[in-house]
Amino acid sequence: MRIFLNKKTSMYQIFRSIASSAMVFVLFFSSSLFAQDGATLFKNNCANCHSPGAKRGTGPGLQGFWDRIPGGDEAGKTKWLVNWVKNSAAVINGGKDEYINKLYAEYNNYPMQAQPHLSDDEIVAIKDYLVNYVAPVEDASGSSAKKNPFIESEQKDNTLLNWLLGLAIVFLVLAVALAGIKRNLQSTLDEKQGVTRQYLPFPKNLFKWMGEHKLQAGFIILLIKIILLVMLYDWTMGIGVYQGYQPEQPIKFSHAIHAGENGISCVYCHHSAEKGKHAGIPSVNVCMNCHKGIQEGTWTGTKEISKIYAAADYDPATGKYGDNPKPIEWIKIHNLPDLAYFNHSQHVVVGQIECQTCHGPVEEMTELYQHSELTMGWCIDCHRKTEVKMEGNGYYNKMLGELKEKHKGVDVFKVEDIGGLECSKCHY
Amino acid sequence: MSKQKKYWNSIQHLEGDAKFVENANKEFAEYVPVDEFLSDEKIETATTSRRDFLKFLGFSVSAATLAACETPVTKSIPYVNKPHEITPGIANYYASTYYDGNDYASILVKTREGRPILIEGNEHSTVSKGASARVNTSVLDLYDSKRVQGPLKGKQAISWKKADAEIKEKLNTVAQSGKQVVLLSSSMISPTSKRLLSEVSTAFNGAFKHVVYDAISYSGLLDANEKTLGSRVIPTYRFDKSKVTLAIGADFLEGWLLSSKYAADFAKVRNPEAGFMTKHYQIESKMSLTGANADERYTVKPSEQSKVTVLLYNELAKKAGVAALKASSVKGSEQFVAKIANDLWSNKGASLVVSASNDVNTQLVVNKINELLGNYGTTLDVSAPTLIKQGKDKDMLDLIQDINSGKVGAVLTYGVDPAFNLPASLKFAEAYAKLDLSVALSYKLDHTAKISNYVAPVNHYLESWDDAEPISGSLSLTQPVIGKLFDTRQWQDSLMKWASVEPDYYTYLQNAFKAVGGQKLWNTSVHDGVAKGTAKPVAYTPVSAADIAAAGEAIFNTKTADLEVELYYNVTGDGTRADNPWLQELPDPVSKVVWDNYIAMSPSQMKELGLETNIQQEIPANLATVKVGSNEVTLPVFPSPGQAKGAISIALGYGKALVKEELVGKNVANFIALDAQKQMSYHAAASLEGSTETYLMASSQTHHTIMDVDPKDPEKGRKIVNETTLEGFAKGREHYNPLITLADAYGEQKTTKELNLWEDHPYDTFGHRWGMSIDLNACNGCSACVTACHSENNVPVVGKDEVRRNRDMFWLRIDRYYSSDMNEQVAKENELGAWEMYSAMEQPSDNPQVVFQPVMCQHCNHAPCETVCPVAATTHSNEGLNQMTYNRCVGTRYCANNCPYKVRRFNWFQYDAYDKFTGVNPAQDDLSRMVLNPDVTVRSRGVMEKCSMCVQRIQAGKLDAKKKKQKVQDGAIKTACQTACPTNAISFGDLNDQTSEVRAKFNDDRAYFLLEEVGTQPNVSYMTKVRNIKESQS
Repeated sequence: MRIFLNKKTSMYQIFRSIASSAMVFVLFFSSSLFAQDGATLFKNNCANCHSPGAKRGTGPGLQGFWDRIPGGDEAGKTKWLVNWVKNSAAVINGGKDEYINKLYAEYNNYPMQAQPHLSDDEIVAIKDYLVNYVAPVEDASGSSAKKNPFIESEQKDNTLLNWLLGLAIVFLVLAVALAGIKRNLQSTLDEKQGVTRQYLPFPKNLFKWMGEHKLQAGFIILLIKIILLVMLYDWTMGIGVYQGYQPEQPIKFSHAIHAGENGISCVYCHHSAEKGKHAGIPSVNVCMNCHKGIQEGTWTGTKEISKIYAAADYDPATGKYGDNPKPIEWIKIHNLPDLAYFNHSQHVVVGQIECQTCHGPVEEMTELYQHSELTMGWCIDCHRKTEVKMEGNGYYNKMLGELKEKHKGVDVFKVEDIGGLECSKCHY
Repeated sequence: MSKQKKYWNSIQHLEGDAKFVENANKEFAEYVPVDEFLSDEKIETATTSRRDFLKFLGFSVSAATLAACETPVTKSIPYVNKPHEITPGIANYYASTYYDGNDYASILVKTREGRPILIEGNEHSTVSKGASARVNTSVLDLYDSKRVQGPLKGKQAISWKKADAEIKEKLNTVAQSGKQVVLLSSSMISPTSKRLLSEVSTAFNGAFKHVVYDAISYSGLLDANEKTLGSRVIPTYRFDKSKVTLAIGADFLEGWLLSSKYAADFAKVRNPEAGFMTKHYQIESKMSLTGANADERYTVKPSEQSKVTVLLYNELAKKAGVAALKASSVKGSEQFVAKIANDLWSNKGASLVVSASNDVNTQLVVNKINELLGNYGTTLDVSAPTLIKQGKDKDMLDLIQDINSGKVGAVLTYGVDPAFNLPASLKFAEAYAKLDLSVALSYKLDHTAKISNYVAPVNHYLESWDDAEPISGSLSLTQPVIGKLFDTRQWQDSLMKWASVEPDYYTYLQNAFKAVGGQKLWNTSVHDGVAKGTAKPVAYTPVSAADIAAAGEAIFNTKTADLEVELYYNVTGDGTRADNPWLQELPDPVSKVVWDNYIAMSPSQMKELGLETNIQQEIPANLATVKVGSNEVTLPVFPSPGQAKGAISIALGYGKALVKEELVGKNVANFIALDAQKQMSYHAAASLEGSTETYLMASSQTHHTIMDVDPKDPEKGRKIVNETTLEGFAKGREHYNPLITLADAYGEQKTTKELNLWEDHPYDTFGHRWGMSIDLNACNGCSACVTACHSENNVPVVGKDEVRRNRDMFWLRIDRYYSSDMNEQVAKENELGAWEMYSAMEQPSDNPQVVFQPVMCQHCNHAPCETVCPVAATTHSNEGLNQMTYNRCVGTRYCANNCPYKVRRFNWFQYDAYDKFTGVNPAQDDLSRMVLNPDVTVRSRGVMEKCSMCVQRIQAGKLDAKKKKQKVQDGAIKTACQTACPTNAISFGDLNDQTSEVRAKFNDDRAYFLLEEVGTQPNVSYMTKVRNIKESQS
């Protein structure tokens, strides 16, 4: 075992040294940033409004943008791009850039947010990523992408279950009929042989049988009892657990489109997840950041988006807000009992837990549902399994030292080890 | 030595009353009325049979089960436009100012999702510290559904537009007819409001007058100061510079003038480790909170307070070589006047004499005393005088006269309720009815608002803009922290509308600030809550010989009666805040009585009169009728050790609040008399007639008696309060706080830490260990922490009846112990035998010493409650906290029975739903419920609760540190009680952080643990109380 481990380590080390020398090589011959970083930078800074493909979002799709933008040669275009990204407001207000003037009008006079925090290199990295971007090839049949998930009736395939149930009934009828025939035959036989047999009516015959076969009867009764108890236990344990809860929301909002297809970061809308206990349902003004530009939905046309406008009291034709906004009454899906205190920022920022760990594949959910049980057992289970991200967090320095001192040779500690199962961590 | 001293919390405790002892040995001294219930004849004829009962039971169980199966639909409604500063779940703090005409405090308001839920002290303030009980409970008043919710004409609702037009027209008519328009208000410390009033006056062509009336009057003091300081101001008392302080009747630690400042200043010089420890003398009639904290306290009748002042003056005059005054002797004063005078004289320039008298002559003598002592400019700061009281009693009397004579045609009242606070003999209501126009700018439909033509409802201060200047040059700002809940308007805006002053008060105020310091000053003032202005110093002019002689003569001529009644204001204030259930439920700091006012009388005098002193749950107090002149009031008599013989005291401000249509207490304003200088006099000659009629009272003083405190046998009793003298303190820890050792099975002496049955928890070396230290020298028992805890932790209010049944719910209580003046040393000096000494110890002293000790869950490391819980609902955390998990609790109450400190509380009822608590418990009202802290569970019936050491704040503080990736900074986490404390008596922090303040206090020589002998190893420690007296006096 030990040898194997060592072998593995050495293999890993060799692999790593090769990789790192390759890295040095690449670093030596290329600019300091890679297209890979460009992808991350794009996702974090641009993807909320721009598609890397041709699709129009709040802003234009960026496929082929490098050929479109002014500036002449490579260097000129880079200069123009850096200036625009870092200082878009000045360019728009200057009003001298024909290309921008046209775009600005096309996008309902909705300006691009300046990104002054990006360095020139970073902007070039994003550009490189976009120029080399190849849109993923859509499924040839196109079935899943082309169907409107909201209109499609989501009937579950119960055929097999129905067949089995039908068969069971047929067999039961058959068994009863056969038993009748058997009895008739028996009585005919008895009559012929002149035997008189006493037939006890149900359930006396059952009791008689049970009296004669005590062991078997006892076993069957015990089995039935156990099954009933297990069913009762399961049923009671399910009270108050709403896993899979999928209420109909006032707006047919699709996380699959927003988080999945458009790749909008979760915390763009649920920004308080990084700050406080509530992840927060975004207020209408957050929706309007993008939907001032995007006025038609992928599947529902203007029908659902117009509900946002109604809530914000916004007239898309004139681009003006009224003074009678009404909040949207969403149905809350993830409900914790009042006696439990849960803080999103503790888990998202300190624990660095992905949203999907608890909320499931939200980016694939057309209509959101409750993915996890949200029971105390479920919380505890995770606290037993999850490592605390102690390294690099000054808060844990002292604690980590003390723990390492106590448990020599152990480097990682679970939430449980620092008191994560205690009552008043969540109940007060 | 203090250990041999006797401590008792009540007369019955001292006397070892059988019922008391029985109750003290139980956690819950409840009376279960089984016999009453069974003897109820209706039980026989009840139509609900056993079978019916079972049917109901079965039905409700199945209904509840079915209901549980259905997914409850919860809506989540986000903002349309989320305000930038609000993040759901995160509290915002805004700096503001509380001033209600009496109390001043610069505060921080904690808001959650836009709702103010807690008031804390503002650390930026140089004037006030902490938030007193009256200040921190004020947040509940905001959500009072009994507020006036829109303008009224008579009793009919009217629109603002209509009301404004009518009032404006009438005001103009009055002004043009040559009559005066008067604004009658309490003291006004807002410089901008005052400037506004001068503009309003111009708008009415000078036919406008501002009359200040203070229900709690300081008119005598102000009038005397007018003569000596040239203006009606009060010098800023510097208790922190005084080495010898004498207060005559002045309760300067609670309620008297700027007590929030004085308490903080005073605590600074009561620290035995600091440069000097001030000596505090108190001469008074009733046992006040300040008197209870005094090193030496002497009792005289109310009228004798002035006479003693003159005697003291004469004693000092003798030393200074100036003429003495004509003086009458006061029985018993010989023993202390000379002594105090000597002490004051030897600390010339560093002493302070204050008096609460509302008599100009007495205050003139006091001023002269301070002048003789050279205190002006040192302990009486005249470079920045105090402005928080301005009322002149004569102005009020003149106003009534002017109304009657037709000189005044319209009165607007704001912040005052003269119809309630003035004695009926002044005939205010009759005069008020004669007015052409009366408008109450009122918050509540109080006595005056009810008889006004119009009620123009005002905002709560948490909905208003204003500024304040409590001390000349120290400004602070009041800002709204919530939108207006009702159709109200702040009084300045109303006045501006009626006098056609533009634009609105907010702009007006902003402009005033900007004119001085531009936008920057305004922004910093809004942010910090405080700003610096320019102080207007005054100069002290000596009182002339003729004046002081006349004053002495006048005092000489006042008569002393056999029985005198003294009227005072207790922690509930002057009655304007009487509807606040948190304040009513707060036990009086000294008597511990709740929801009532009463006649406080010396126990020995009560026994002479044959009145019941042993007042308990089922033993009622006797009622007695007090007569002053032609007025009489019948109230229960309550024993008050330390009360001057021949003097009784009754609190004003009662008889206003209604609970279920019944008045809380009785109003005794009719006893207020006018003295020769037309000043309100708060004491009078009285007669008292006891009766056999009885009245059940609720006082928490006999509740939660800590285990094994046996005054009959102090040797057996364990150490609860540790106190010493300054002399004893100097001798070192061995002398006053010796290490406690107990003999083990082999007779070997071991410390409580060594003598240990259980395995120790590992937190001593791991992570956090939260601890609290309470300095008994700084704690003065003011009870601000008790209401702050109520507010932070959603502690239910249970009402008088339940408190009487020992079912109060305080997570934090303040134990008040009396101790007699007999001890071993005194016995030795007087050559008394042991028997004589102990019997003398049992004599309730007429002037006992008092100790205050806040007690909350001690978070024992070896907690007796944890081991007896059958369902593990109370467990120990790895951070040293004793955790209480409500949803696990099944209510066996074993834990409470096993708690030696009696800090666990049981939810006997669903306080937020049961109709018994309607009108008492704020959580029953949809509006008042807004005050609940959303981070703390509201407990249900049948579960235990207790102090959690504000675990919600600990968790929030830890999370904050984790997000900042740093260790928890010392002082970053504060408990609610700590934020309210004006004297920094409470320290909280991580004991494992060796640099923390609380660790230093745990290691201090004065630190001791409550009932350390029991071996519970608490995480709360106390600091020994040190009195500035001789060993022989202790």
